[in-house]
Amino acid sequence: MRGSRHKSAERIIEKLLLASATIAVIIVFFIILYLFRDAYPAFKEVGLVKILTGMKWNPVGEPPSYGAYPLVVGTVLVTLGAMAFSIPLGIGSAIFISEIAPSRLKPGFKFLTELLSGIPSVVYGFFGLVVMTTWLRITFNQPTGESWLAGSILLGIMALPTIISVSEDAISSVPTDYKEASLAVGATKWQTIRNVVVPSALSGITAAIILGIGRAIGETMAVMMVTGNAAVLPEPITNVFSPIRTITGTLGIEMGEVAVGSSHYHALFALAVILFVIVLLVNSSALGVLMKLNEKFNPTEKKSRGWIPRAAASLLRRAFWGAIVVVILYFAYCRSGVRGSLEAGLVLAFFSVFVIILAHHPFPRHEQTAFFAAISGSAVVVLILLGVILYYIVSKGIPAISWEFLTQPPRDLGRGGGIFPAIVGTLYLIGGAMLIAVPPGVGAGIYLSEYAREGKITRLIRAGIDNLNGTPSIVFGLFGFAFLVLYLNFGISLLAGMITLGVMVLPTIVRTTEEAVKSVPQSLREASLAVGATKWQTIRNVVVPPAAPGVITGIILSVGRAAGETAPIMFTATVFSQRFLPHSPLDPVMALPYHLFVLTTSIPNSIQNAYGTALVLLVVVLLIYAAAAMIRFRYRRTVRW
Amino acid sequence: MNLKAVIPVAVIVVVIIGAYTGGLFGTGDRSEIQTLSVQGSTTVLPIVQKAAERYMDLHATVNIQISGGGSSVGVKSAGEGTVDIGMASRELKDAEKNEYPDLKVITIARDGIALIVNLSNPISGVTVEEVKGIYDGTYTNWSELGGDDVDIVVVGRDSASGTREFFWEHVMKKEDFVAGMLEKNSNGAVKQTIIQTPGAVGYVGLGYIDSTIKVLTVKVGDEEVEPTIENVKNGSYPISRNLYLLVKGGPEGLAKDFIDFILSDEGQSIVQEEGFVPV
Repeated sequence: MRGSRHKSAERIIEKLLLASATIAVIIVFFIILYLFRDAYPAFKEVGLVKILTGMKWNPVGEPPSYGAYPLVVGTVLVTLGAMAFSIPLGIGSAIFISEIAPSRLKPGFKFLTELLSGIPSVVYGFFGLVVMTTWLRITFNQPTGESWLAGSILLGIMALPTIISVSEDAISSVPTDYKEASLAVGATKWQTIRNVVVPSALSGITAAIILGIGRAIGETMAVMMVTGNAAVLPEPITNVFSPIRTITGTLGIEMGEVAVGSSHYHALFALAVILFVIVLLVNSSALGVLMKLNEKFNPTEKKSRGWIPRAAASLLRRAFWGAIVVVILYFAYCRSGVRGSLEAGLVLAFFSVFVIILAHHPFPRHEQTAFFAAISGSAVVVLILLGVILYYIVSKGIPAISWEFLTQPPRDLGRGGGIFPAIVGTLYLIGGAMLIAVPPGVGAGIYLSEYAREGKITRLIRAGIDNLNGTPSIVFGLFGFAFLVLYLNFGISLLAGMITLGVMVLPTIVRTTEEAVKSVPQSLREASLAVGATKWQTIRNVVVPPAAPGVITGIILSVGRAAGETAPIMFTATVFSQRFLPHSPLDPVMALPYHLFVLTTSIPNSIQNAYGTALVLLVVVLLIYAAAAMIRFRYRRTVRW
Repeated sequence: MNLKAVIPVAVIVVVIIGAYTGGLFGTGDRSEIQTLSVQGSTTVLPIVQKAAERYMDLHATVNIQISGGGSSVGVKSAGEGTVDIGMASRELKDAEKNEYPDLKVITIARDGIALIVNLSNPISGVTVEEVKGIYDGTYTNWSELGGDDVDIVVVGRDSASGTREFFWEHVMKKEDFVAGMLEKNSNGAVKQTIIQTPGAVGYVGLGYIDSTIKVLTVKVGDEEVEPTIENVKNGSYPISRNLYLLVKGGPEGLAKDFIDFILSDEGQSIVQEEGFVPV
């Protein structure tokens, strides 16, 4: 009797998890479908080849030209630069936090790096424009600092918290016996980290990189403020001081003003699709690199629950090299003109060197001190970056803060009064987005890791989720506007904004949950099952508690992103000012990032309150983080293996 | 599950619930409230927002909700009837006119467009032809225009902007901009770049003029004309464009009353206060 009840409960739970996974997947593919649907007319009208190879992006010229080549190159270059900057720094810092830092300082350090993810993208953009581009212009004596380099550094900084946080979780969850075994046979600490700890955490580190790059590649508001947005190729192609324009920057600056349904509008969606494909290529390259590393470290592939099974591995590897060949052909085809081959060659060389460095792991041996210094150094760099940005926000924001500012509605276009309704609105939006995204996200993550069989479909789902993570936030905003606001007739409302934000952070939650759950050693599950526990009992009592810190990390990163994003809510949920607080989910709200955005872009002489708003937004996010970090800290202390 | 872990969760839940219920107090009877929703161009937003603040002071039961999103969002949501009034800083495109034939367009203000440079730039005035030369790449160094030996950093607006469209038609005579032009999506962003870049030149609405940047006069014939509200109104300053409100099927009731208020003397004085040109 009892047993059968258990069994049916077991089945219900599996069905529930499956349902949440299905919901997550349906949402993912629904948005992808939406993207392709609105891009199709452009491909039909202009032609894929013409869009991809055209050298001129001038959608309002006569005749208009929709050449995306400079934008594609811009996106690739900025992203490569950001990766070159953030991957070594991020992984270095993660190793520092989990393996080198004194254990008392770990939670604090991790919390500090996560603060970086709570800084709204508009603030990053403004900081980049005012502080960083000026510094670049003067230091390198350039006419302007708005450039490829500025974009890469800024996006690198924005990708850092994700990379550090997720890979630190992966590294920390490497079982202690692995390390002890390695140390016991006489390996040094550095050898252990290099040959045992990092390889064991590779799946998580790769997920961290993919999520980080996704954040960087899909970032809209910040990148368009610092790259100059000139749709030109750098001349020569290695000139990091050249202004450059990315696909997201183009979407960000043109999407709001373009006539819906015009060929310009469809061309922008075509750009979004191209970006989608780029993200796919980048992700499969990252997986390809993981494959190579896995082979090197586990030549016999003993790990039964490795991320990718062997057959898939060879398939992915082929896809990876295929992708590289496609990229070569593309560059060669487009640039077969005068200076073409040289530039294409340089880009290619840059790219290959990058891949080779990653694949061959050229760290020399017996250099523990040097590497520990480098790793600690990367942590210090991250802290300095954090310090500079925080100092900037706090010092500029403090003068605006007063009791009135915190408790009153705005007056005189936000130049006077306060931002109380925006604070409340932001809390509503974050709370609602989390309610919408966390249950299906965590459920889907658990299902993917514990129930789903590795196969084509699982991989397709994972690829879809990873890709959605790199989809520019403005696309989510437009999706919300077209589908929720207009089609479902929610109007501009809190509900539409919550759903849009929830959908946007869903991929982060699914993937971090999956990685966290997967990092729990298989032996724990087997032990639990061996003493007669059912699968769900095992998951609930054995797998989920140690995975909780990782899941919470995902939620923290999501809260930060949901709180700071402007693009998804500006078409769906927000009003610039409002007489009353919202009474139902169908009322519109004010929100901090949107308020900040309007003040900085459209209201002259409001800069003081703009800085104040940025500071308040940061503090709101910080309070939520502090609570979440406390929960994570408790779990961390009680669970060890 | 560790009991202590529940405490922070409880704190978060309480804060969120508190915030939600907080929204339910202090607003009194809502049954008589009339709501008017406005959405669209962020360039037009300050005028409508300021007018709405004044209008709501006069009418206690009216709640006007204004959001941005851009001209296209304004056209679309007004055309679909999602909002009562749309805002646009450009004329309707043919595709939009076809889709929403009953959308009525009302001009509420003009926006004078000033050419601005960094404070360190000795140049004080240019002709319209010189402006065109700067923006099409004929001139690349300020010394060619009698200034210092500094490279010109050309800053313009994004290709969907109404300001740029006007500039392109009336200054560029529909010729292409120089390829290396930096593109910004707002007046605020253009101004910020000009402030911090010695060789930069850009164009912004009159409301953004202050002492942090230098405004160029434009030579018309022999006369140097300063971009002021007065000069745009009397037609002597050559670069300006219209700002619009959009209403489906023509304004009625509250929407009509509000638009009439913006077009009234009081409304137009708000337009002027915000640095735009009354019509």
